[in-house]
Amino acid sequence: MMPLIVADKGKEYKILKIGGNAEVRQHLADLGFVVGGSVCVISEAAGNLIVNVKESRVGIGKDLAMKIMI
Amino acid sequence: MADQKLTIALAGNPNSGKTTLFNALTGSNQFVGNWPGVTVEKKEGRLKGNKDVLIEDLPGIYSLSPYTTEEVVSRNFLVDENPDAILNIVDGTNLERNLYLTTQLLELGIPVVVAVNMSDLVAKNGDKLDLKKLSAQLGVKAVEISALKGTGINEAAELAVEAAKSKKAAKPVAFAKDIEGALKEIEDLLAGVPEHLKRWFAVKVFERDDKLPENIAALAPKAEEIIKKIETAHDDDSESIITNERYEYIARTLKGTYGKKGAGELSTSDKIDQIVTNRWLALPIFALVMWLVYYVSVTTIGTFVTDWTNDGLFGDGYYLFGNGREEFTDAMNEYYAENVFTEEVVANVDKAVEAGITGAEDIQAAIADGDYEAFDEAYGFYGAELDEKADGAYSISEVVDTALGEDAELPANEDYGTWVPGVPVLVEGLLDAINCNDFVKSLVIDGIVGGVGAVLGFVPQMFVLFAFLAFLEACGYMARVAFVMDRIFRKFGLSGKSFIPVLIGTGCGVPGVMASRTIENERDRRMTIMTTTFIPCGAKLPIIALISSALFRKASWVAPSAYFLGMAAIIISGIILKKTKMFAGDPAPFVMELPAYHWPTVGNILRSMWERGWSFIKKAGSIILLSSIVIWLGSTFGWTDGAFGWNPDLELESSVLGAIGNGVKWIFAPLGFAEIKATIATVMGLVAKEEVVGVFGVLDFEGLTKLAGYSFLAFNLLCAPCFAAIGAIRREMNNAKWTWFAIGYQCVLAYAVAFVIYQIGSMFTGSGNIIGAVCAFAVVALVVWLLVRPYDEAKTLKTVKA
Repeated sequence: MMPLIVADKGKEYKILKIGGNAEVRQHLADLGFVVGGSVCVISEAAGNLIVNVKESRVGIGKDLAMKIMI
Repeated sequence: MADQKLTIALAGNPNSGKTTLFNALTGSNQFVGNWPGVTVEKKEGRLKGNKDVLIEDLPGIYSLSPYTTEEVVSRNFLVDENPDAILNIVDGTNLERNLYLTTQLLELGIPVVVAVNMSDLVAKNGDKLDLKKLSAQLGVKAVEISALKGTGINEAAELAVEAAKSKKAAKPVAFAKDIEGALKEIEDLLAGVPEHLKRWFAVKVFERDDKLPENIAALAPKAEEIIKKIETAHDDDSESIITNERYEYIARTLKGTYGKKGAGELSTSDKIDQIVTNRWLALPIFALVMWLVYYVSVTTIGTFVTDWTNDGLFGDGYYLFGNGREEFTDAMNEYYAENVFTEEVVANVDKAVEAGITGAEDIQAAIADGDYEAFDEAYGFYGAELDEKADGAYSISEVVDTALGEDAELPANEDYGTWVPGVPVLVEGLLDAINCNDFVKSLVIDGIVGGVGAVLGFVPQMFVLFAFLAFLEACGYMARVAFVMDRIFRKFGLSGKSFIPVLIGTGCGVPGVMASRTIENERDRRMTIMTTTFIPCGAKLPIIALISSALFRKASWVAPSAYFLGMAAIIISGIILKKTKMFAGDPAPFVMELPAYHWPTVGNILRSMWERGWSFIKKAGSIILLSSIVIWLGSTFGWTDGAFGWNPDLELESSVLGAIGNGVKWIFAPLGFAEIKATIATVMGLVAKEEVVGVFGVLDFEGLTKLAGYSFLAFNLLCAPCFAAIGAIRREMNNAKWTWFAIGYQCVLAYAVAFVIYQIGSMFTGSGNIIGAVCAFAVVALVVWLLVRPYDEAKTLKTVKA
């Protein structure tokens, strides 16, 4: 298990765990980040990531990327 | 049945094409307002071709959870108002995520129709969607549309109306057996809840939703046992269980109905993103884009249109399509060469250049070019200098006055090409024709037309800027800007989403403050609202131009320094405020959907430009109209030879306005501009920043040094914004105390910055005084302390615990 931040670009991973408080977790779930779902990093800029999740592109901050485990 | 009124709610994710669909469905029959109690935009409109159907546009949302205000507003509407049907637009390129909201809408006991948007894009990507199967799986009617091209829209509307009339509620999706059993048990607990809403509330109770209505929240504890049992069985919290169930249902539904080709391949949009959000290229690209936007809207198209509005439409007049302008210019140049640029004038100006008189070079250059407009401008700025220095040895005003005086036979505009007189000329003619008295005439021409006209002059420039900003928003770049700026803004306690309001604020603070709505976290939003108006808005540009040309000979550093000052104020405020108890805590983590890049339609850009521009024109029509009249009254009523009365030629010092300025000007003494006009201009700036320029004549800076002028500029840029923006702050804060705090903070900061600039600057120019300098250094020290002091203790403790 590793945080999303170290994921290779362009490779698809399975989400194993999502940390953070309940509110943030729910918002992430609404956007498509669910345990068991797949995620793929498109682009990275100083720790902030653009990821492909359920076919939409979502920009997430570094602190969140640390909490999504793959 | 035909005259039965129906309400159809339009729901969907952000960026799913909902606004485009709404515009297509309703045409121009729209009403925009706010939802009761909150400042979330509420749009409704009548269906084109069927006035009995009201379309209610819900905010773009990802779910009906209580995470954002938009979600709460939407679900309250759906539950309390009970619309006749829901038209759910889903983005076909992104079905899985979009159907997540659909699964929640199906639970509300309301008929639902699903419209799959952008099917052309789906087809192009090689994806296949079996609409019939999807429709059968969901148990509701599904229809393919392209909101952009307008195909399938009528069909979608017909299906929605049909569904509304049928009153056949959608069936909720089925979860796993044990969860269904638990939900059934909870439903049985919900006595007194309308039958069609039982499922919805049962799910919400199961999720331990904290925004339940009181009567249901009271029943919730009874369900605790049922929920706990399921949680233990699934080893997860109830909210996550439901979320997972929904996504699993969607995965099952899409299997066999949706074939995706080329998974894992990068789309064009991704390839653009890899460049545009690249670690090294992102900021240079952003800087280039912004430079282009401002170059075009401020210096080229903007200036051209603004000049036409100021000098033409609200000036003397203009040549239709420029027809005749060249001939007129030639005639004027010829006239000037003969009558103005006489040997005496040329000799005096040459002498003045040798003596090093300010501005003489500009006049000399204009004469050398034989350019009458350049001469007028240079002479307007610096003519007085030549009169005053060396007892008028270099004066050219006598010749100029005679040549351009009332009796001079200057070429007349009307004699060349197609001349259209300006509004003031037309109005004056009209008033003369009906024999209006002088008081009314002066009120209309100097007060109303002059005041409002000066402001409307900036409208075209603002429209161009708004069009660009609308394009950046619609094509998807604005979301990337927030993403790119987040890593920088986060260091100052602000989120990247705070940057969008600032960017829009460069056009006008009102939509800028309103753009803060997308920020979910209330603390972050308040802080953004407080700091957005520090950035120079369109109306502050003329103040910068005025100071820069009158005191700094249009030095190229003045305008950028104003933006730098604004940005610095935002950053410093971010750090300082974050360290207070009120704002303590990290900014909410950054999560934002980045819509795929696409070319926006011209119609959508024009619509957005018009909405923002129109709110500015409305402001000009109300607040600025009123304040123009007040200024006019204040400056024309006063004391002539000891007697109070109305006098259109009153000196400012002896007018009511002057007396007020005189009374309060001491406030600005420590800032270096305790001068009547500067004081009045500053006070008027609170009404509308454009008024600052209106109060000042270009030549009225005699009382101000360069330093005091810059201090004046700094104060006016940073202090409380105009009435309209204060109104916007009040609406967005939704709280009088916070509004006052914001305004107070802005004024105090502005005062401190101007004070430091003036006092410390004075030391360097050798005119400073000890007390002032000591106070200034004390202010600097205080700011530094506020910047470097540790974060609020309550927060540090929490971090340690965590």
